[in-house]
Amino acid sequence: MAITNSTCVKRKLPPCRVACPAHVNVQGYVSLIQRGQFREAVELIRNDMPFPAICGRVCFSPCEDACVRVNLDQAVAIRALKRIVADIEREQGRVKPKPIPKTRIEKVAIIGAGPAGLAAAYELAKLGYPVTVFERMPEAGGMMRYCIPDFRLEKFVVANEIAYIKDIGVEIKTGIEFGNDKTLESLRNEGYKAVFVAIGTQLSRKMNVPGEDLEGVIHVLEFLRAVSLGQHVDVGERVAVIGGGNSAIDSARTAKRLGAKEVMILYRRTQNEMPALPHEIEAAEREEIKFHFLVAPKRIIGETGKLKAIECLRMRLGEPDASGRRRPIPISFSEHQYEVDRVIPAIGQIPEKSCIPAELLDEKTRRALIPVDQITMETRIPGVFAGGDIVTGPASIIQAVGAGKQAAVSIHRYLTGQDLKAGREEVEETTWVKDWESLRKKSRRYEAPIEKPRLSFEEAARFLEETKRKAMFEAFRCLGCGPCSECLAETDFCEEDKAVVDENRCSGCNICAIVCPVGAIKKNEEGVAQVNEDLCKGCGICAAHCPERAITMRRFTDENILSYALTALRRDDLL
Amino acid sequence: MSSGKPKIVCFMCNWVFCDETQLGINQKHRIPFDVNTVRVMCIGRIDPVVILETFERGADGVLLIGCTPPDCHFVEGNLYAERAVKLLKKLLALTGLEPERLELRWSSPIEEVKFIQILNDFVVQIQKFGVSPLARERPDEKVLLNILAAKNAAADFRLRVLTGREKELTENMNVYGEKISQEEFNALIDEIVKVEFIRQKIHLLTRQKPLSVKELAVIIRMKPALVLRHIVDMRRKGMIALDHVEETTPLYRALEV
Repeated sequence: MAITNSTCVKRKLPPCRVACPAHVNVQGYVSLIQRGQFREAVELIRNDMPFPAICGRVCFSPCEDACVRVNLDQAVAIRALKRIVADIEREQGRVKPKPIPKTRIEKVAIIGAGPAGLAAAYELAKLGYPVTVFERMPEAGGMMRYCIPDFRLEKFVVANEIAYIKDIGVEIKTGIEFGNDKTLESLRNEGYKAVFVAIGTQLSRKMNVPGEDLEGVIHVLEFLRAVSLGQHVDVGERVAVIGGGNSAIDSARTAKRLGAKEVMILYRRTQNEMPALPHEIEAAEREEIKFHFLVAPKRIIGETGKLKAIECLRMRLGEPDASGRRRPIPISFSEHQYEVDRVIPAIGQIPEKSCIPAELLDEKTRRALIPVDQITMETRIPGVFAGGDIVTGPASIIQAVGAGKQAAVSIHRYLTGQDLKAGREEVEETTWVKDWESLRKKSRRYEAPIEKPRLSFEEAARFLEETKRKAMFEAFRCLGCGPCSECLAETDFCEEDKAVVDENRCSGCNICAIVCPVGAIKKNEEGVAQVNEDLCKGCGICAAHCPERAITMRRFTDENILSYALTALRRDDLL
Repeated sequence: MSSGKPKIVCFMCNWVFCDETQLGINQKHRIPFDVNTVRVMCIGRIDPVVILETFERGADGVLLIGCTPPDCHFVEGNLYAERAVKLLKKLLALTGLEPERLELRWSSPIEEVKFIQILNDFVVQIQKFGVSPLARERPDEKVLLNILAAKNAAADFRLRVLTGREKELTENMNVYGEKISQEEFNALIDEIVKVEFIRQKIHLLTRQKPLSVKELAVIIRMKPALVLRHIVDMRRKGMIALDHVEETTPLYRALEV
């Protein structure tokens, strides 16, 4: 079922779901939270992707950016809700899922147990394929496990999500390096019919300034990985982090936690151009991390092989460049120095070229990324697919999950001999909320949170009851702007109830069009009401108001409601 | 109500529904045993006719629970329910049943305590009125006739159009650019409710056997002149026809509409 959602069959979806690269059914789980069905909500998220708790913590939540509610007050705190339901499930004990039976014989190999690889493995395992994931590091999880520090994403959370993937029958083999232990050739010889390469970008980008090889310069990924592995890292007293992305903020906050007295972040543009998430920047500011904007390192000065200072140039902003941000231009003779013990360059990640088979690479591209078909994720070798950071360059978890899901669909089609591309167009977005004026007129009960909504529920585990209540309250802010049947809540109850017009009885009085909250009923040229079933949500207000009683609901007719009421009455007599 | 317990039907919105599992978080909150819940997609779904029919079949009380305004999953479904209940109370007052046997209350799924409180309060309220005249072994015929008349009145085209358009008429303007104030509108509805109720009653009575104006005036306790005026209107609308003339007294018979 989930796999059909991810194929992006042309169907209408609410904006939040369209915005999510993995097309998670946001409206669905939010409306399940509304009625307190937290476990069902987690299950619904797992239908679409296997990382509810991880994404609930570190996703950059494009769904919230797309949320229609923003026009009224503020977006629904979708990410916080996801975190809460996942946390509640973990706290109360997750029910171990039954392994999905292997109904297919074609073996699939996945290189890299990061978000892309695991998502693809998860989707394929659900389809019944025997999937093996090969991972170089001692534990699965990729960047989620090794490069996001503990204070943002706890290791046990990652371990729990990966345990779920293992439980449904995905085999994960760690300590196996692609390129050394396994190659495309050897995998093919072992009988793997399809390969998904999701090895990510594992090297830190070098600054290429003099003195970068000095002792005391430790690059971001090496730094975060060493900390994650529990190795001793001496951060000294004064640390300079170069860069403005999330990993720069992460390493600065990590360094602070490791005992550095003074941590500064040097960024060559201004705060507006920083790619890091705004609330991460705020958190760093709260932790007294200093920001120096419009400075770029020129050289790193050492004394007897030890780091002493970093020399920087001041910058000014020029014309916007290819990324849409204003290009920093160095100001001549503006050299100045910061005295530091450690420098952590965090200016980006690059793939490890030695791992990638040469035949997958495009000779022309400067960066060692694997060129793939944008929709099918297929590389130039049939049966070999690639996705995640190794294709897009460093991106986010949810984008990697989306790529993994797409690749899983492609692999399934490839192995069953279907056309890889057919029917995988873009999804269409829909929402009934167009009439903002009438919604604005209502004085809403909910007050906009003082803090950003993304920070609404910090102490999730401790105040469980209070949290649940808050979560339900927050979920209630969802306008449910997608079409009916999107919420999946209580499908047994509503089963996509739709209004039906008896055209012979309709007098064309237009009452139904007036009362319909979602604008699903319009009169046609003959003056007969017509129901647009894409929009109808089955509330039945039209049926209650039709003067000719020409409208009935498909399922909850007046007779049905009455019979329920009467059975209820008779129950008394039976006793 | 042989067991001494009131029979209460509670229609509630799907989106405020607190079921036993949800209430189970707190064992002390329980839905009172006397209340029988019927869940609907939106409380605005409840047709006035359905409520009157529930009374007709012997319910002692009907409680509607919807989402607290301004929230409604369907924007304004709860407000439509509010208008319907306003109308129904007017009709119930005419039938001889206490209008307080029908109530509309607001709740939300996160207010279990309040939700249970509403139900308990309503049970107490209904116990005060006692058993409904329609729930006895032999239902009170007068009240039954009144309820049937009210049911037909609630199904009437004119009344339903007006309730459906209430918001449009009172908040915006009609096609002639006139704005009707809420007071004017309420007066209009009051008038139509009364007229429609009487006419439906006459219609029901004359359906059983042909009756004269005088006889009708006695049964519905009204001046014969007023009854005649209604009969003239009803004849024009095709609701009633002259059956035969006994001596000099014309007798009228209902026509099936």
